[in-house]
Amino acid sequence: MATDTQTIRLTTSDNVEMTVERAVAERSILIKNLLEDLGGEQTESIPVPNVAEPVMKKVIEWCEHHKKDPPTTQDDDSDSRKKSTDIDEWDQKFMQVDQEMLFEIILAANYLDIKALLDVGCKTVANMIKGKSPDEIRKTFNIQNDFTPEEEDQIRRENEWAEDR
Amino acid sequence: MAKRNLEEIPDSQPPAKRSCSLSLDQISKLSDELLIHILSFVPVSTLIVCQRISHKFRSISGDSQLWKAAYYNRFVRPRAARLPTLREAIAPSDQLYFSSKLSKWLDEENLVSRGKETNWKRQYKLRHNWAKGSCDVREIEVTERPPILPLLVRLHEGIIYTVDPIAGLRVWSLKKDRKLLASTVLSPSTSARSLAPTSFAINNQSSDIHHEIIIGFEDGSFTIFTFFIQENRFTETFTHPASSNGMITALAYCSPYILTMTENQLLSLYRFSSGHESDGTPSILDPPQLLYSLKSHTSCPPLSLSIRPSSQSIIASIAYTIPTYISGWSVGIQEMCLTLSGDLIESRIASSASQDFQPLIRPSPFSAPSTRTPSPSARVSPNVYSDHSQLFTKPTSLSYTHPYLLVSHPDNTLTLYLVTSDASTLSISSGSRLWGHTSSVSGAYVGGKGKAVSVSTRGDELRVWELEGGLSSPSNRRRLQSGHLSVRIKPEQRSSRHTETNLISESVSQRGSGLGLALDEKYDDLSVMRGWVGFNEENVIVLREKSQGSQALVVYDFS
Repeated sequence: MATDTQTIRLTTSDNVEMTVERAVAERSILIKNLLEDLGGEQTESIPVPNVAEPVMKKVIEWCEHHKKDPPTTQDDDSDSRKKSTDIDEWDQKFMQVDQEMLFEIILAANYLDIKALLDVGCKTVANMIKGKSPDEIRKTFNIQNDFTPEEEDQIRRENEWAEDR
Repeated sequence: MAKRNLEEIPDSQPPAKRSCSLSLDQISKLSDELLIHILSFVPVSTLIVCQRISHKFRSISGDSQLWKAAYYNRFVRPRAARLPTLREAIAPSDQLYFSSKLSKWLDEENLVSRGKETNWKRQYKLRHNWAKGSCDVREIEVTERPPILPLLVRLHEGIIYTVDPIAGLRVWSLKKDRKLLASTVLSPSTSARSLAPTSFAINNQSSDIHHEIIIGFEDGSFTIFTFFIQENRFTETFTHPASSNGMITALAYCSPYILTMTENQLLSLYRFSSGHESDGTPSILDPPQLLYSLKSHTSCPPLSLSIRPSSQSIIASIAYTIPTYISGWSVGIQEMCLTLSGDLIESRIASSASQDFQPLIRPSPFSAPSTRTPSPSARVSPNVYSDHSQLFTKPTSLSYTHPYLLVSHPDNTLTLYLVTSDASTLSISSGSRLWGHTSSVSGAYVGGKGKAVSVSTRGDELRVWELEGGLSSPSNRRRLQSGHLSVRIKPEQRSSRHTETNLISESVSQRGSGLGLALDEKYDDLSVMRGWVGFNEENVIVLREKSQGSQALVVYDFS
């Protein structure tokens, strides 16, 4: 097949049809496997029921930019991930979105099986957590403190060992 | 934080619907798996902080998978890099950090095989505390009267055994309550007079149901007791009559073999007829058969007996100290290799004195049971780190857990030897001095993975050593020079602990002097560590004798 700029169509959860270059869409292992299973020319639109159009747009934007990256290995055990501060500049900019979108991107990356994007998203969240106090983290993510004061005290004591001395 | 608040503002712009979703935290949309994935990018300090956010985050940040990765990153990987055999496996690619294959190599399989129940956070904490030398400390008072003979202590699988002439054989739990589990008089069959126990050992082939304890006495007799762990009950299973060879000074027991050393320096190997444990419950044993007996003239205490079973053979060994002309004191080792049926394959001997040194007595202290001539002294490879300029003083204790042989000296140092024992050779490397203590070292104990604990006479200094691989590796030498090979144990009364009202805390408070607290200070000047020290995965135990004559076991708890 001469597949220079072969395109496929995707239908998002809110019924928007998008036309995407096949090589870009194949950053998603889910779509890649699906296309392989279907074989030949894909003429019908592929439904992506879990991802809405605005999120899909962001995901495609990321895939466009990263389409020339070497494919990621599937092997999860050979875990040579760098520590979370290392996010390349473009990705950092890309991830400057509100929290709702950030979590939607993570969910979509997880669903579509785009490991590198998932990692970037998770690292972004990890960086929002690092170096903060429990109270600051709660505030950042709007998490309810459901501990009683006694519980809080107990947990603090349980973890005293890890404090730097 | 102000910045983060800004990010939330756009959310609140479309009024009705959004305010509803704002009160709901967005991060809850993510599954636990995804949250764990996020937390896999944060350091341990952050995981600890996350414990305190909410119930949900507490359970997620306590996830075993995260802590296992942290454990391997901090404790296994650097260790793997230190071991020369493993370095190659790791060096080329920057991966393979916690595959089961590697963990097997690193002998962590005891953790891995426990499999799913392994609480990795707990394991991490344990190793962290060992590495920092930080622990909780409790005492178990064992005698109030001054001892006639030193109290003997052994630690076996979380149970402490003590033997003394007055209270007999006692068992103490090492669990949280640290209470007396059971006790028995020593010689119920010889009713007339109470004999003083002089040594004891625990069957290293003991099962989970019962432990077997062998006790040697001043008259050369020995008795075997079985302790049933569930029932906290003792039975006497065998008593060997008194012997003319004098008191039993050392013992090793590896069912069905017993190795004894007597005052007259007679080393004997016995074997019980097999099959006595057909249904797992030991009954009265038939007298054992004396397999071999070796006479020695020069093996000086301290010495250490051991029996190592392997798939094809049994290796009974004695490690001892020998006086030499130039280097002062050195160590020797004799091994007897037996087939599983008890036939002697060979007996061989090695000592650590290099050829430059003329031993005071030839290093062949034992009459050889075979015709094999004793091998010459071990060769010294030139790159082994050692210091011969100093004299080795008479050792205060000797601990041998193959391949590590650790000797403590009154001159504030320890000497580590590595024993090589394979089909063709038995040799001992030249000694490497270990510095770190600031007063006389009275006892040391080394475990199978090269972890060792040493204690100074005054008892105010305990050190934990990581000696794996010996000192021939450059990284360990560097650690020695920079003083990172050992860490001093820093006991602390953790205020946080809910002090259960138990035997120990009561006994501490009864004495009123607040001995538990005295640990932050120095021990009372006259108190002396007896030199016995033992440890397991979670605890270090030291026997301490106080000026008033009472003795206590000091338990340092790292969990």
